[in-house]
Amino acid sequence: MSQNRRDFLKTFAAIGTTAATLTAVTPNIAKGSSRRELSIDRKGVLVDTTVCIGCGKCEWACKTAHNMEAGNFDDYSSQLTDGSQRRPSENALTVVNQIDTSIMNSDKVKLQCMHCDHPACESACIVSAITKQENGAVTWDTDKCIGCRYCMVACPFQIPAFEYQKALDPKIVKCDFCYDRTKEGKLPACVEICPVGALTYGTREELLIEAKRRISKDPDKYFDHVFGEYEVGGTSWLYLAENNLVNKVFPKLGTNTAPGVSESIQHGLFAYFVPPVALYALLGGVMWLSKNKDKNEGGH
Amino acid sequence: MRKLFYLILLVFLASNLFAQNKLSKLHSKQNLDCSTCHECEVPTKTNPCLALCPRDKGKGTTHKVEDAPKVLEINKIKGEKDLYGAVNFSHKIHAEMSEMANGCVTCHHYNPPGKMVSCDFCHNTERSESKANIPDLKSAYHRQCMGCHTTWEEESRCENCHALNDEHKSTSTTSEIVKVHDSVTRPQTKVYETPNTNKGKVVTFHHNDHIELFGLECVDCHKDESCQSCHNQKPNFKKAENKVQHSSCNTCHETEDEKQCAKCHQESETKAFNHFAKTGFDLNKYHSKNTCSSCHKTKGSYTGLNSQCKNCHTWNNENFKHSITGLELNEEHSELDCTDCHENNNYKKPTCTSCHDESEGFIVPKKLPGKRIK
Ligand code: SF4
Ligand code: SF4
Ligand code: SF4
Repeated sequence: MSQNRRDFLKTFAAIGTTAATLTAVTPNIAKGSSRRELSIDRKGVLVDTTVCIGCGKCEWACKTAHNMEAGNFDDYSSQLTDGSQRRPSENALTVVNQIDTSIMNSDKVKLQCMHCDHPACESACIVSAITKQENGAVTWDTDKCIGCRYCMVACPFQIPAFEYQKALDPKIVKCDFCYDRTKEGKLPACVEICPVGALTYGTREELLIEAKRRISKDPDKYFDHVFGEYEVGGTSWLYLAENNLVNKVFPKLGTNTAPGVSESIQHGLFAYFVPPVALYALLGGVMWLSKNKDKNEGGH
Repeated sequence: MRKLFYLILLVFLASNLFAQNKLSKLHSKQNLDCSTCHECEVPTKTNPCLALCPRDKGKGTTHKVEDAPKVLEINKIKGEKDLYGAVNFSHKIHAEMSEMANGCVTCHHYNPPGKMVSCDFCHNTERSESKANIPDLKSAYHRQCMGCHTTWEEESRCENCHALNDEHKSTSTTSEIVKVHDSVTRPQTKVYETPNTNKGKVVTFHHNDHIELFGLECVDCHKDESCQSCHNQKPNFKKAENKVQHSSCNTCHETEDEKQCAKCHQESETKAFNHFAKTGFDLNKYHSKNTCSSCHKTKGSYTGLNSQCKNCHTWNNENFKHSITGLELNEEHSELDCTDCHENNNYKKPTCTSCHDESEGFIVPKKLPGKRIK
């Protein structure tokens, strides 16, 4: 158990304070709600969708690296051309879709957590289970996660998935930017395996320069926009494509950091109800207690 | 003081120039445009402003396709998982195909002056050590391959080139696959329907004649081919525009000249070109190996010659070896002028009567002016 009851109460108090500040309507604070300063050396991945051939090897490698049922890796590419627009799920932290299968060789887009610089999921999480790490990864602590699914609602990219099929102690799952691998100096599994190098790993700063270099070198090949540079305050994963990905793959998002957005969702949700803090308290408290009970029973 | 200043400046400039010269000694011998490698106008040693490999400016010594390696084993890339064995790459076939488009530079997109360098000269075998702007070796290889292969294979079928390196299947690290292409059958005659032209609606293309009779090389017509012209499995492949269709003909044929349309566009299928039927001059016996241009010297003009030998041949009794005809002339006859026996340019049949009286029995072929040797 990584969090004892006292920690929980502390977190709880913190939520109270945050909520209080929020009710005082101070947009600046709401924007900068990320807990730590962003490291200038934080990593990212540049996804060049014009290079991706849709082999699906990244999906396979991701599953293998996360001890998930991966199946035969030669079967992956056919899923791409069937036209289905899959979403990352609890069984696949990343998926690759061809947006328009009627056009041969049209953009293939790999989807996974974008590792936002100011993650909405992080600020939505009431127990601080989600953390923007120094290297850019947005990770979460399964032990802290109480399964409230606020992050799912908050995420502007609909990334966190929920283990609905698990009866006992279901958790949130999403791409963790291969945090364990990168800690050891390895590349993220998907980046490592990609045969054509559609995924480039590096510091976000250097990737942005490279993305812009590619656009200026080949203005006919690329739509003049690096998706993720400014969207929701910037994301660690950046996209280059032949066409505009907005509205086709990604929703139209402002450049405001998403926490403001997610908070407004919550405000919207609870507009006609009791103050959100009270509901958080009730829901969170009940879930945390029941979770603890489960664990304890399981332990005996 | 001023003079001294100028002097120093001059010395400085001169030494600078000298240094530059020394530096560029190697370069100066090569017939290179500076901008091939340098992005700025005045590259210096400290700031050479080297351009990222240009895609179309390979400067290496290019050899002939025939001299290119036939099959290359590619096994320099080691992935973390080691899923596949080495790839046997049929280099020669690819080189031959590339001749019909961009040539060697399609893949060897950049080469410093000198021998062809291998890909890992620039592309790092280690992905984790690669720079963001230069793909690592694995990416570089795959991008070259898939750039073309995906134009006809929608699904990326790894097994087309790679043999699985699965310990359950085989322990060997060498691929068993050497892809051998089905032999390419050269078309004999192709009939195209051209309903949109207001001239003839059918073009009969005698492919075989263009090669055997007219002596064309594949690349004379197949210059700017896309892989899909042969490897097209997509039924909705965009049909070539009119101009494009003419593009392989117009090196020789005047496709822009309205009066010439009917040469190819006819109402029905046409027979193969037959020099004898068309002109009355049979090429088969002695001239079958000639190219058109060996007689028709003016490019594009095929008229103006008649069936007389002297159109092309400037023979006389001294430089013509009569034995080539199968008849070796005897001494008396070999000294005659050609026209003494061959009147009216008829080199098929001699006239004997200008010298010999027929009543005396000198009738060809009973009595010959020499010895038959064939
Ligand atoms: S994409 Fe969604 S889950 Fe990923 S960091 Fe951003 S908000 Fe969180
Ligand atoms: S970074 Fe890791 S977890 Fe994320 S998609 Fe790639 S392989 Fe999967
Ligand atoms: S491995 Fe690379 S090329 Fe293959 S689907 Fe994933 S991103 Fe695309």
